[in-house]
Amino acid sequence: MRKFVLIGLVLSYAGVLLLAPMLALVINLLEYGLDTIWAAITTPEALLALRLSLILALCSVMINTVMGVLIAWVLVRHQFWGKRFFNAVVDLPFVVSPVIVGYVLIVLFGRQGWLSGFPVQLAFSTAGMLLVTVFVSLPFVIREVMPVLAAITPEQEEAAFTLGASHTLTFRRILLPILWPSILYGIVLTLARSLGEFGAAAVAGGGVQGVTETATIYVYRALQDRNDVGAYSIAVILGLMAVGILILMNWLRPQEGKKHVD
Amino acid sequence: MSINLTNIHKGYGAQVVVDDVSLEIESGELFVLLGPSGSGKSTILRLIAGLTPLDQGGIALHGRDVSLLPPQQRGVGFVFQNYSLFQHMTAEQNIAFGLEVKRVPRSERQARVTELLQLIEMETMGKRYPHQLSGGQQQRVAVARALAQRPEVLLLDEPFGALDVKIRAQLRQNLRAIQTQLGVTTILVTHDQEEAFELADRIGVIDGGKLLEVGTPDQLYRAPKHRFTATFLGNANLFPAHRNGSKVYLGDQHLPAPPDTDHLTGQPVEMMLRPESIEIALNPTDLKGSVLGQATVTQLAFAGALERVTVQLEDRVLQVLIHPAQSRQLGIRPGDRIWLGVQEYHLLATNHHSGAG
Amino acid sequence: MMQTRTLTTLNTSRTPQMIFWGVRWSALIYLSVLIALPLIVISVEGLRGGIWSFWDSITRPAALSAIFISVWTAALMTVINMIMGTLTAYVLVQYRFPGKRWLDSLIDLPFAIPTLVTGVMLILLYGPQTPIGGWIEDQFGMRIVFSSPGIVLALLFLGYPFVIRAVQPVLASLDIHQQEAAYTLGASSWLTFRRIVFPAILPAMITGGLLSFARALGEFGSIVIVSGNIPMRSQTAAVYIYGQVESGNLAAASSVSLVLMAIALLTTLLVDYLARRRTAHA
Repeated sequence: MRKFVLIGLVLSYAGVLLLAPMLALVINLLEYGLDTIWAAITTPEALLALRLSLILALCSVMINTVMGVLIAWVLVRHQFWGKRFFNAVVDLPFVVSPVIVGYVLIVLFGRQGWLSGFPVQLAFSTAGMLLVTVFVSLPFVIREVMPVLAAITPEQEEAAFTLGASHTLTFRRILLPILWPSILYGIVLTLARSLGEFGAAAVAGGGVQGVTETATIYVYRALQDRNDVGAYSIAVILGLMAVGILILMNWLRPQEGKKHVD
Repeated sequence: MSINLTNIHKGYGAQVVVDDVSLEIESGELFVLLGPSGSGKSTILRLIAGLTPLDQGGIALHGRDVSLLPPQQRGVGFVFQNYSLFQHMTAEQNIAFGLEVKRVPRSERQARVTELLQLIEMETMGKRYPHQLSGGQQQRVAVARALAQRPEVLLLDEPFGALDVKIRAQLRQNLRAIQTQLGVTTILVTHDQEEAFELADRIGVIDGGKLLEVGTPDQLYRAPKHRFTATFLGNANLFPAHRNGSKVYLGDQHLPAPPDTDHLTGQPVEMMLRPESIEIALNPTDLKGSVLGQATVTQLAFAGALERVTVQLEDRVLQVLIHPAQSRQLGIRPGDRIWLGVQEYHLLATNHHSGAG
Repeated sequence: MMQTRTLTTLNTSRTPQMIFWGVRWSALIYLSVLIALPLIVISVEGLRGGIWSFWDSITRPAALSAIFISVWTAALMTVINMIMGTLTAYVLVQYRFPGKRWLDSLIDLPFAIPTLVTGVMLILLYGPQTPIGGWIEDQFGMRIVFSSPGIVLALLFLGYPFVIRAVQPVLASLDIHQQEAAYTLGASSWLTFRRIVFPAILPAMITGGLLSFARALGEFGSIVIVSGNIPMRSQTAAVYIYGQVESGNLAAASSVSLVLMAIALLTTLLVDYLARRRTAHA
């Protein structure tokens, strides 16, 4: 009896909290009719915004994958002074308000900023938006890779060494295949966070239509402009991407029982 | 000389793990490093393979000084205690890995893998992943992987440690057969004296980072130089004794001094009596060897093929192993008075005690 | 015979050494710059006019109320989330039921969906012109959207996976024999939960709760849509900072940023400390 009460409670909570809003969005959008929706999606501004979102997310994924694996490697394998501290603050980008992140970029690189002489224009530019996106999605790959890396026994590598494999070859052929599932999972999380970034990108880029406007910023502006169909249709596209990401996440999620037994 | 260790030394801070070890191993020999856990035997293996950097000393393999070379360039095959097979590769891929690294052409590689799978009697299991193999099969794949590049030297770190007793005996014979067939110089590390006896051409006994002595299994069992060797390789009854002239004095008794023990004259020694070399009789005239004296039986215990008899000879307690048939024939029970004799005994210098350092 | 000698270096070739240091320094410098810059910039900017000017900035009614709203909505969310999250994790681990896999997958939705889209979805479900929003306003006289309940709702959506994903593995790895032992000793299942299960999962609940709290404090995308941005009533600290930056009032933005950042940093360190203590005990 208690079992069914608990299951019912949880299912209704999750349904009201997670599913109902999604349904509301889709139903509201569909009221406009497919032609109107298609027209709203294919406006040049909307397409440009989607394109910028995708480019920023892909660049951010690439940078964070390489640097994430590198940082995870150093945090797990190297011994150095202050390691504990670094370990603790890696999560900081995850909890700092994105608005603050964007604001910091402006303070540093804005016209009267600390580093206003910096050769690359970062404030109110796509380069700056990339920088803040990279920052907010920094911890994901690191946090996924670290425990897997820590669980690999040194003998795996030593075995490869005695068989004549160099450090690089050992990394590529022995470690990377073991780390790969966790890296992929981290990549998907990074992708989700980068695609969805709004506050930091809005502040850092200034939200100039067609130039520094990402899909999320487009939705925000469309709402302000009372362009409801534009806002809802791009929101639904972002939502569909999220569902795709969710499916990837479930497919890739490290499974407890499948762990290698050495 | 195939493997040559010269005064090698390894420490971590103040803790000495390998203490000035020198050793020469012949080509084609199967050498067993025997010692309790923490004695430094695995570290010696890792030093030879280049997995642990050397503090002092030199290592030469087939006359080539490898002391400073990274593991990749030492040309040794290494079998780890937990095998460390690459979990994401099949048995075949594991075996072929070293050949791939050496850029051996594909056809040659394939031939070598097939050959090795035959050698370990796993022809049909090449496509399986490690987690689909039993412990014994994983171990054999690890051996094949280590042998793939035809290494000059094969190093095995407790290769039977993780297996159950039955499989262990069978795999020992397999390994010995493979080693003899290929003639590869091999060092095997173990803490199991039975394993060492069965496999070794020679055994090196190691304790507290020191190589105490080296010899054939027979030499070390019958005539150890160190008390540690005497007790670590089987059971031993050890009693303080004294050698004088051509006699050894054990309390009131005296026995003829064993040959080759002249250098022990005049110093305190210990007499080692293996339990199976002691005889029991009801009358002193029935004893074949030298008479030790009259003793009291305190305990009888069944011990498989033999029976363990605990006896008290004056203030000394001895363990004796006799055949159950003989025990029945004598009809001894606890409390009985019997005569003890000894056919084979050995003397070791008392000051060598401190092997455990 | 070889001579005994002291060896100073091993693994002769220079390349691994160079790779080693290259990897270490590039990783640490990258990390330091990314992490330290925001901390330094906000600290310096926030305290640029001196401590009193900082104090004046954050005690201005609009600023103070924004910080206050951020903290209480996040705290309320954390409490609800710890209860519902633990319950969800418990149901997912303990029971088999149709749709279980779906539920388990759906829980990560807040990690996948842009928070701004969450905001849009919520106004479409609970906005004043919608059937549900209108009904609630008629029946209870309470507005959800453009008001604090909307903020809490957005944060609940955002924070739902945190506690679940922290508690789930701990619950799953819990030794069933301990519970069975308690049953054989005559403990009811509620008593068993309270005395055996709860103490085991409490650290994970707290860690998950704290993380969702820290994450919620800085939330912007969903709140800027849902809250309607009414100063003193539904303006959170992050939205306040955004407004001050937009209107060029950088001193005010910096001061409130410093407060938010300090809370976020402290929470992160606390989470790290708790995690360490937990592993030290295990």
